[in-house]
Amino acid sequence: MTDTLHATDNFMPEQRRGSAVMRLALSNELGLAVLIAIAFGAFAITLPGFTSPFSLFTIGRQIGIDTMIGLAMMAVIVTGGLDLSVGAIGVCAAMVFGFLAQKMGIPLPLAAPGAILFGAVLGFINGYTVVRSGVHSFIITLASMSIFFGVMIFLTQAQSFNELPASVQALGKLRVGGMVSVLLLITLAVCAALSIFYRYTVLGRQMLAAGANPRAAELSGIRTGRVIISCHMLTGALAAFAGLMLTARTGAAVPSMAGHLGQDWLLPAFLAPVLGGTLLSGGRVSVVGTLLGATFVTIMTSGLLLMRVGEFWILACLGLMLLLAVLADRFRQQVLRARGMI
Amino acid sequence: MALSFTRIFDNDWVGPGLVSLAAIIGISIFQPSFLSPFNIFVLLSAISVNMVIALGQLVIIAIGQMNLALGAFGGLVAICFVAIMELYGVPPILATVIGLAIGALAGGLTGFVIARTGISAFIITLAGLQIFKGINLGITEAQPFYGVPQSVKDFGNLSMLGPIPWLVLPMIIASLGMWYLFARLRIGRYILAIGGNRTAAELSGINVTATIIWAHAISGLLAAIAGMMLVARLQIGQPTIGDDWLISSFAAPVIGGAVLAGGHVSVAGTFFGVVIIAIITQALVLFAIDPFVVQIVLGGLILWAVGINRLRELRVAKFNARTA
Amino acid sequence: MTALHVAHVSKSFPGVKALDDVSMTLKPGSVHALLGENGAGKSTLIKIMTGIHKADLGEITMDGKTVRFANPRQAAAGGLGVVHQERNLVTRFSVAENIMLDRLGNHSLSSVNYNAIAQEATRWLKQLDLDIDPMTPVSRLSVAQMQLVEIGKALSLQSRVLLLDEPTASLTPNEAQVLFRILRRLRDDGVAIGFVSHKLEEVFDICDTVTVLRDGRNACDSAALKDLNRQDVVQMMIGRAERISKRAPRGKTTSAPFFELKNYSSAAGHKGISLAVRPGEILGLYGLVGAGRSELAKAVLGLSPQTGGEIVVAGKPVTIASVAEALEHGIGYVSEDRKAEGLILLHSVLANAGITVWRKLATKFGFLSDTTIASRVGPVLKKLEVKTPSLDQTIGNLSGGNQQKVSVAKWIAAGVKLLIIDEPSVGIDIKTKAYLHDLIHELAESGTAVLLITSDLTEMVDVADRVAVMDGYMIRGVVENDRNYERVSTAIMGFIHGRKAA
Repeated sequence: MTDTLHATDNFMPEQRRGSAVMRLALSNELGLAVLIAIAFGAFAITLPGFTSPFSLFTIGRQIGIDTMIGLAMMAVIVTGGLDLSVGAIGVCAAMVFGFLAQKMGIPLPLAAPGAILFGAVLGFINGYTVVRSGVHSFIITLASMSIFFGVMIFLTQAQSFNELPASVQALGKLRVGGMVSVLLLITLAVCAALSIFYRYTVLGRQMLAAGANPRAAELSGIRTGRVIISCHMLTGALAAFAGLMLTARTGAAVPSMAGHLGQDWLLPAFLAPVLGGTLLSGGRVSVVGTLLGATFVTIMTSGLLLMRVGEFWILACLGLMLLLAVLADRFRQQVLRARGMI
Repeated sequence: MALSFTRIFDNDWVGPGLVSLAAIIGISIFQPSFLSPFNIFVLLSAISVNMVIALGQLVIIAIGQMNLALGAFGGLVAICFVAIMELYGVPPILATVIGLAIGALAGGLTGFVIARTGISAFIITLAGLQIFKGINLGITEAQPFYGVPQSVKDFGNLSMLGPIPWLVLPMIIASLGMWYLFARLRIGRYILAIGGNRTAAELSGINVTATIIWAHAISGLLAAIAGMMLVARLQIGQPTIGDDWLISSFAAPVIGGAVLAGGHVSVAGTFFGVVIIAIITQALVLFAIDPFVVQIVLGGLILWAVGINRLRELRVAKFNARTA
Repeated sequence: MTALHVAHVSKSFPGVKALDDVSMTLKPGSVHALLGENGAGKSTLIKIMTGIHKADLGEITMDGKTVRFANPRQAAAGGLGVVHQERNLVTRFSVAENIMLDRLGNHSLSSVNYNAIAQEATRWLKQLDLDIDPMTPVSRLSVAQMQLVEIGKALSLQSRVLLLDEPTASLTPNEAQVLFRILRRLRDDGVAIGFVSHKLEEVFDICDTVTVLRDGRNACDSAALKDLNRQDVVQMMIGRAERISKRAPRGKTTSAPFFELKNYSSAAGHKGISLAVRPGEILGLYGLVGAGRSELAKAVLGLSPQTGGEIVVAGKPVTIASVAEALEHGIGYVSEDRKAEGLILLHSVLANAGITVWRKLATKFGFLSDTTIASRVGPVLKKLEVKTPSLDQTIGNLSGGNQQKVSVAKWIAAGVKLLIIDEPSVGIDIKTKAYLHDLIHELAESGTAVLLITSDLTEMVDVADRVAVMDGYMIRGVVENDRNYERVSTAIMGFIHGRKAA
């Protein structure tokens, strides 16, 4: 039975219940939650020390950072585009933060928002160029990643800011209840805010609409161009946020903390939202899915590291995981389509 | 007269060619050592390697996709190439053949997954990048292989004739091969047809799956050549080979007038794109400018080229609208 | 002698019986018209013949042998060529290469022999009286030439059956005549030609036999056209004689126009357009495909820049640079392309119906809830009898009729004062169509100005108060609608063809 309605007959509610269960069973969130439970359980039993308070603290902190990176990419995947420059923006914002806090002596409550605002400005540059040129965001952000990173390295001469106020590193080490990282709590708060944003605000809804079908959105009175620029700004701000969290973890703003051109962020940035069921073609997001995706990746990475699998092989595993995630997503969509659920 | 003048400028390579020429003349006036045999030798070596890398991306752009894993292919082949020579004493010629096979296989595999699943090339090659890079580092544990035979080192560092390095040879072969492929070979025309109008290609009975696999296999093959050329030039098997290919591999084809949506590429244009990038990089060194500026310039060049291509598209569209 | 025989084919899609026991016979040396209103099943039938869809029941034979093509490619190889409405050419390639695209070489690494290809292509171009260099890139050709190239491509595959889907839609009358001359010659050479068109004049001009579909059934199966007149064909298509509408002409409104164009020109190519719609009036905008009607609607909404003249809303000259601004002036637009431009298929009924009122309903800080939106659009959806299990249902799962109701509902919810409705009855069932017509009238009665764009003349005569006739991006005249089909259609055609005669 499909959901297509005939003009004359109304729908039979009892036939929908079965499909609702099916839909939940096939949802990314539930699947991920089960995978996380299995992986966590297996590692907890086989690896002594995996569940120690310190281990849980570092895992939680990593989840916080990776989720934030994933959310940054998710915010632009909404438009059906992408942003290769997330890493570059994150590092640039961290360096601006370092400059403000260390060189200018600006208090942290001002320096941190300043850096996030700076990230949003870089996002605006991306968004504006994409919208005005009509060129795909891939090539624009490929160029801007090179430019942002190059300017940053040029200005900093590749020097770190490692005399930040002690409270920065203290924040990265702060635990609640002995095992929960404050960074994770901050990320959870951002997740909650984003969930509300996409569901309960005009701009959030407009982003989803413009991402799913820009033409229809434009013809329904949405200023699609502005909305897409906002998406890129949100990405920039979230990437900056992630950069700050990474700074708090290391206690210093390091130009190489996201690798050459910030490319090291690309995999976590795509892995979390794609695992979490955000559509690459745009128009549908899952904040919780992104959180769960990052959680799964972090638990797997930590577990494999404890099992003494070389960190390089873990890189390959993560690539494989991305591949399996998109293949699973394809398969799930086929099942849903065959059953007429989408 | 006016018409033929415009026609000439419609050729993709003319613009970048003139820019290259102007840059060479300009820089050599301020810095005569720019045209010294040694500098020309260095310049040509860099151009040779980068041209082969750019061709590896060009064939994927032609079909309307992108390949983020290009550098990972090249890096993996480079260390495999040295590893089998050092550890198993495989002669360089045979090692080269094996290296080419690995590159083509890795590319073909990527193409197979893209064609069969229909998932965007971006995400598949991102996964591929990670997998192949991971394997590379897993094998080497991030340590270089040093056992490069003297013949290979010589190939990368000796001159064939005057200031012309041997490295120019594989570049010329690859460039002519790719030019012929796009101009004359059935597979090249099919790649361009799919990039230009996939539906039309499909309806005309072109085997799209096979063609996509071909394109990626060729891309992997070219990445393998470039990776091994770099081994010869650097004289060691560096695991970091390929890490910095991404930006320039897109910059050169785009400067050369390639349409990113697919269906139109220019081998000659790409060549001049590579030349422009190499000259600028060299000039920054000559004028003792911070080498990090290269990144900024590369990004700027991409944006500039995209802008120019966009303007040309609009002009063509206008022209077609007027004459229709 | 039968080239292609469709025997008792049925095809159901979820919730819709698209084809029900349909038959059709194409003979060599004959041009066969396939007619039917939008949604009658023509395109489904073509898709079944070419293997895009599989028939549930029935079979297709060519030269007496049953055929089951898996895809259009196989159909072409089997001698059944189709020229689609959308151009399927690689525009950067040459004419010759496009014609010979599947025969460039035996294997992937064979070299292309351009001379041989050009020679072979020239053979087919000659047959089509197409005097162009086979090495010309397709992008340099006119639309009509591209169409001929596609026909050449189909012929070069030894097609014995050639299906043309609305081939004249984007051709000028002269180009159409050239096409017909070629079709006649192909017919005389023994090709069986299937011809889908909306223009009855053309059908009577070139076709010998006709199959008419109505609501997925045969209204007639391969009848000789010479025994029929225009009235008969129309009656078969719409299931009744062309008739005087059941609606009486509505009383004239005399209030000041809500919306006026004064000597308006746009970058899309409109020149000197003047028209006015009063509150409570339904102004029809009629024209053939390519006349520039939808383009006018979109230009007025700010999608193409205004290059001259004035837009006057409620007596004040305004400039409109985006749909968002148009909405602020109380103007809404129901697109003809529901799936690409009207709705966001991925999203819920609620999101689609509420999209126009989000900003209006939000609190100061931009917050709004589903409940707020539902309380605004719920009553409208209820009034329009939109059938959906819940407001959270993905709109892609609703039937075409219900989707169309939602795309109208969102503008009613926004309280627009001028609603531009573009081809409201494409792809929806008869019952919903009648309902929509009533709805449009109701809207007008309650004081909304309506601009109705349709190429369905019956619909136009049935619904509009006045009809502005558009051709070549200009308004050619305005006809008062007294619901007399004969008189109104003659007047409209007079305005359209008057220009061409001149």
